Amino acid sequence: MASLIKTHFKLAKIAIKENRTRSLLTCIGIAIGVASIVLILSLMGSISNLVKSEVNNIGNDLIVVRPSSTKSSITSIVEELTSSNSFQKSNLTTSDVNAILKVGNITAVAPIAISTNTVSSEKNTFPSVPILGTTDDFIIIEPFALKFGSFFKDDDESKTVVLGSTLSLALFNTVNSTVGKMVTIMGEKFMVIGVLDEVEKSINFDNVDFDNALIMNIEDLDRITGSTQIQQINIKASNTDSLTQVSADIEKALKDNKLGDENFSVTYGDQITHPASSLFTVVSGMLTLVAAISLIVGGIGVMNIMLVSVAERTHEIGIRKAVGASGRNILMQFLFEALILSVLGGIFGLVLGYVVAFFISIITPFAPYISLNILFLTFFTTLAIGIIFGIYPAIKAASKNPIDSLKHYR
Amino acid sequence: MEKKVSENTVIELKKITKRYGYGDTESFALKDFDLTIKRGEFIMIMGPSGCGKTTLLNIIGLLDRATSGEYVLNGENIAGISSKRQARLRAKKIGFIFQNFNLIEDLPILENVALPLVYTGHSKTARLKNASNALKRFHLQEREYYFPYQLSGGQQQRVAIARAIVSNPEIILADEPTGNLDSRSSHIVMEELKAIHEEGNTIIMVTHNPALTVYATRVINMLDGQIDTDIKTVADANLPQPISVKIMKKKPETVAIIKKSRSNKTKKRKNRRRKK
Repeated sequence: MASLIKTHFKLAKIAIKENRTRSLLTCIGIAIGVASIVLILSLMGSISNLVKSEVNNIGNDLIVVRPSSTKSSITSIVEELTSSNSFQKSNLTTSDVNAILKVGNITAVAPIAISTNTVSSEKNTFPSVPILGTTDDFIIIEPFALKFGSFFKDDDESKTVVLGSTLSLALFNTVNSTVGKMVTIMGEKFMVIGVLDEVEKSINFDNVDFDNALIMNIEDLDRITGSTQIQQINIKASNTDSLTQVSADIEKALKDNKLGDENFSVTYGDQITHPASSLFTVVSGMLTLVAAISLIVGGIGVMNIMLVSVAERTHEIGIRKAVGASGRNILMQFLFEALILSVLGGIFGLVLGYVVAFFISIITPFAPYISLNILFLTFFTTLAIGIIFGIYPAIKAASKNPIDSLKHYR
Repeated sequence: MEKKVSENTVIELKKITKRYGYGDTESFALKDFDLTIKRGEFIMIMGPSGCGKTTLLNIIGLLDRATSGEYVLNGENIAGISSKRQARLRAKKIGFIFQNFNLIEDLPILENVALPLVYTGHSKTARLKNASNALKRFHLQEREYYFPYQLSGGQQQRVAIARAIVSNPEIILADEPTGNLDSRSSHIVMEELKAIHEEGNTIIMVTHNPALTVYATRVINMLDGQIDTDIKTVADANLPQPISVKIMKKKPETVAIIKKSRSNKTKKRKNRRRKK
């Protein structure tokens, strides 16, 4: 049996070499599909890695509470695509934040509520500026450097906001300090109290583009927008050893507060890698779908070429059967050829995908993400493609009548 | 009693019928065809086109199935066996030689010769060694890595013969092996077949050329799917040697068969009902 497999392998190699151009084109078909899948997985992996490294920078005493989606993922994805608000619907409330505050071994709790609104200064007006509502604990958990001014305090009586560096520049047309100037949101005037340093990380576990964002007190945000939804609650534990215990306590406190409702997740450490936006999920899901379609097209290419190959080699099939090949032998021979074509295409695709990922990494912060999982996934996907699209031509070859096949000439 | 007969009998066809089409288009390639082939015979089958020669060869070679009738190979009825078993028997017991050689163009001749051994489960070294030995026998050992198109017709046919004998089959079937060859190459090929026959192999050959019957021990003339004449030739006298070598203990019986066949020869025409 082993010797027969080796023979099939060798025969397939000969057949592929004989039709070099044809085989190469077929492989490219598979390679493009595999390359796009590899590229998407690599990008997703590197985004996760970025978030992971950010979490590591902040410190390993971070606990994050996020709402789980209350609906099935497909409906929520469709809803998000059709609604103007691209942020996840949340069931976390201010009372949940207060419940968490009562848990022991915690140094800081910062709710993060995100909204978009029109922001205007005396010079410029910008629609759809991301506005982040939080408390002053935010700067304790994530120690952002401020270029000018300071972060707001909860007990400030005046209405104050902190601007992202790009937003500050855009609103006031100056790189100089904008502390003390006024911005208008929903007809209310707020004073700029601080400007953040450039962050240059549009992807982070808060899912906020801080350079373009406006940060204000969550109570002010609540008042001007009417209702806010808390997308995420960041918690800093007092020491790293008790993370498991603290997160269990938080979970219990939330469950009690929400009367048994369990639509939230408490994560810490490496689990905080998933970017919060489901827009990200939607986009990567769509890309994967497109990649899968191109892989199917590649598979159809394999099938097409195998059918041509079977037709061309009818005479050979006749000879093989006459000297003692069973239908199964012939089936295996052609199936092997299809498998080798598709796995070869998979290898090309893997290389191609990483080459593209490398070029993307030159212009973006996404370093190519190489993992064993991607290698295995590629291998088994192409194997499956080879079997699915190679079995029909192989069966066709195996069921040929030897006498008719012997009469058949090229 | 019957068992003793089958010791010497390789193939027994009983009432083999091969029908093509149904109803109005019905036609018979073979009709109630009976034939017993003994070990070591060199049978030539002759007859006009369309008389069922090739169909007979295909049925004996397990490439085709009879519509009805019994096919006993080595004492076992194999008329209704699975196509998988058919393939296995083809690989082990039957060697085919064709008019148009039927070599695989993409493979060097060494691998063409080794082809039947692929399907009998031989290891690669055993395959190539056996194939090389078979080629040596036909003086083609220097061309092992030539491709079929680089050889002359006569050489290609010798490669095909080497392929047919490489797995030591019990029966060699040849369908007009000299049909595509000039007279010189034909002669060489026939001499090779004769040599193989003299080693004790059973050969069944279809031919149109009456001159070749000098090599045969038995000549069967077919007409419309049935045996017209069945003659033992002079060469039949050479028959005992391989048989006596192969099955020594049955020697007296062998002699009896020869006597019987000689008497047939004088009669020139054989009774069609030979079932008994």
